[in-house]
Amino acid sequence: MSTRRTQIPVSLVVAPDPRDASDADLAQALAAKSPWAITETWHRFAPAVITLGRRTLGSESEAEDIAQEVFHRVFTKANTLRAPERLRSFIFSFALRVLRTELRRRKARAWLSFQRPETLVDLGAELTDIESRDLLRRFYVLLDRLAPRHRLVFVLRHLESMTVEEAAARMDLSISTVKRLLTRATDKLSQWIEADPDLVGFLDEKGWRP
Amino acid sequence: MTAPGESKGGRALAALAEIARDSVRPPSPAELDSGLDGVRARLYADQAKRAVRPTSGAALRWSLVGALAATAALVIIVATRSGAPPSPGSAAPPALAYRIEGGTVVEGGYLRESGHAGIKLFFTEGTEFILMPGTRSRLRTVDASGARIAIEHGTASFQVTPTPAGNRRWQVDVGPFLVTVKGTVFTVSWDAATEKFELRLRHGRVTVNGPVSGGEIALQAGQRLLVDLHRGETVINDQTPEEWAEAAAGPAPRASAGPVRKVDTDRQWAQALAAGHLDRILAEAERAGLKATLERASSEDLLALADAARYRRRMDLARDTLLAQRRRFPDSPRALDAAFLLGRVEEASDSGLARALEWYDDYLKRAPKGTYASEALGRKMTLMSKLEGVSRARPVAEEYLRRFPNGTYAGPARAFVRAP
Repeated sequence: MSTRRTQIPVSLVVAPDPRDASDADLAQALAAKSPWAITETWHRFAPAVITLGRRTLGSESEAEDIAQEVFHRVFTKANTLRAPERLRSFIFSFALRVLRTELRRRKARAWLSFQRPETLVDLGAELTDIESRDLLRRFYVLLDRLAPRHRLVFVLRHLESMTVEEAAARMDLSISTVKRLLTRATDKLSQWIEADPDLVGFLDEKGWRP
Repeated sequence: MTAPGESKGGRALAALAEIARDSVRPPSPAELDSGLDGVRARLYADQAKRAVRPTSGAALRWSLVGALAATAALVIIVATRSGAPPSPGSAAPPALAYRIEGGTVVEGGYLRESGHAGIKLFFTEGTEFILMPGTRSRLRTVDASGARIAIEHGTASFQVTPTPAGNRRWQVDVGPFLVTVKGTVFTVSWDAATEKFELRLRHGRVTVNGPVSGGEIALQAGQRLLVDLHRGETVINDQTPEEWAEAAAGPAPRASAGPVRKVDTDRQWAQALAAGHLDRILAEAERAGLKATLERASSEDLLALADAARYRRRMDLARDTLLAQRRRFPDSPRALDAAFLLGRVEEASDSGLARALEWYDDYLKRAPKGTYASEALGRKMTLMSKLEGVSRARPVAEEYLRRFPNGTYAGPARAFVRAP
């Protein structure tokens, strides 16, 4: 069987891969409401936002809700971003704002109900060691006692492993303020832990040293 | 200055931060897809809201088109995600909504317990599902026509509110059995290790389908069905209110007008444990008398007491409590867990290592796929290397790697396999 070939010269045009788009291009596409931009923005930034939420709240399920709230705001307010190359900062400033609101809401709920609500920690599902799961829960009970701003600074520095400068930039605070908040948070947590000799002894006994 | 200091508290804080940092896993592709669907649904809803605002001319027409498209997309998303059939029309009951206490729904509809207090599901129309601690379950569907939940292992109580038209269907998959209910209060349990099924029906009517001869089994209020698949036994008998009360130990269904003996379940130690009030639990047990507590406390409270005692290093009390759990509730999933935990208790002293090994063996024999199977096998491997040498631990290490290649003990297991 023969095939007739066209004599017209053709060239292959490859559609650009959204993953190659810069943050600035992505921001402009979001503002223009390009459908691909929503998918790409989510896949590019949601993993980090969800991980931040999980580390901050100690809950996988709550972190999913927070991420949806953050990106809903990002997508509806993308046209307000004046510097498209700062899309990453734009998203994380929304994330920290939503997380702070959630932490304040928890504090208010505890105050209004005149009792400390149960700290639900659903992280570490793959930890089969029940002692590790218990330590994790006790750690988040202590974090619940911190003020939201202190907690966020502590999480960014010690759980997200950011430098003080990076944490200051993320939270839109001065470096000296971040240092002050961090010292306060660390001192308080250390004091509360020391007041629980069983916890310290247990960590020592298990050889859980940094 | 900003790093946790060199004090004891500072070092412990750094260790805790490390555990927390390492415990967080990145979201899976399925979780990301599901999250993106959620955001898109909210965006569609926004569009729909904007579209119904009164505008004029062409804008109105285009908005209506957008609204219709958005609404259609929402309907498709909701129907696809819930697996629900299209609404049958005005005769259909209103959609069901529910809230969860003590856990979350994770990928595949599995219910993940977030503490030691079990999980409770409350549906808007009044139906309640109460899953005892350690119960493994999956929410299969929730839609306007009812809900279907699967109990893979453990015990659960159900209080189903009947609808006037009787147009809701509630189904419970319990191991290989299917329980269909309409307006009922009952407790059901399934032990995957021993293949024993039990259903205690307090009010209403249920039918049970499963691998038993004679086809569908219909139960009346007050009856108890016991099926032992291993022995091929099926027993239906009447239960007294006292027996029902004992079966409902733990989070019991709402009180009835019947003459039910009061069950000693108001300590709420599981909640206290989840909140870290270990000393309160121990103090209350001592105030009530340890012996009396071990004889009268519910299975759930015994588990919480054992945990509190272990965390406070009161191993004698932990041991007695776990043994009481096994003696008083021998067929419950917690009795199995107690075997593993007794191993942990015995491991706390050098003289108890051989006994710990026996407990782990017992647990693995009775629950080879149990919650703690990976941990029990890992501990068994470690103890065997200590007590009998690496060569005796090697077959256990090989078994561990075969069954749990990514488990907590995979590293040591590989070392045992490679050791000369």
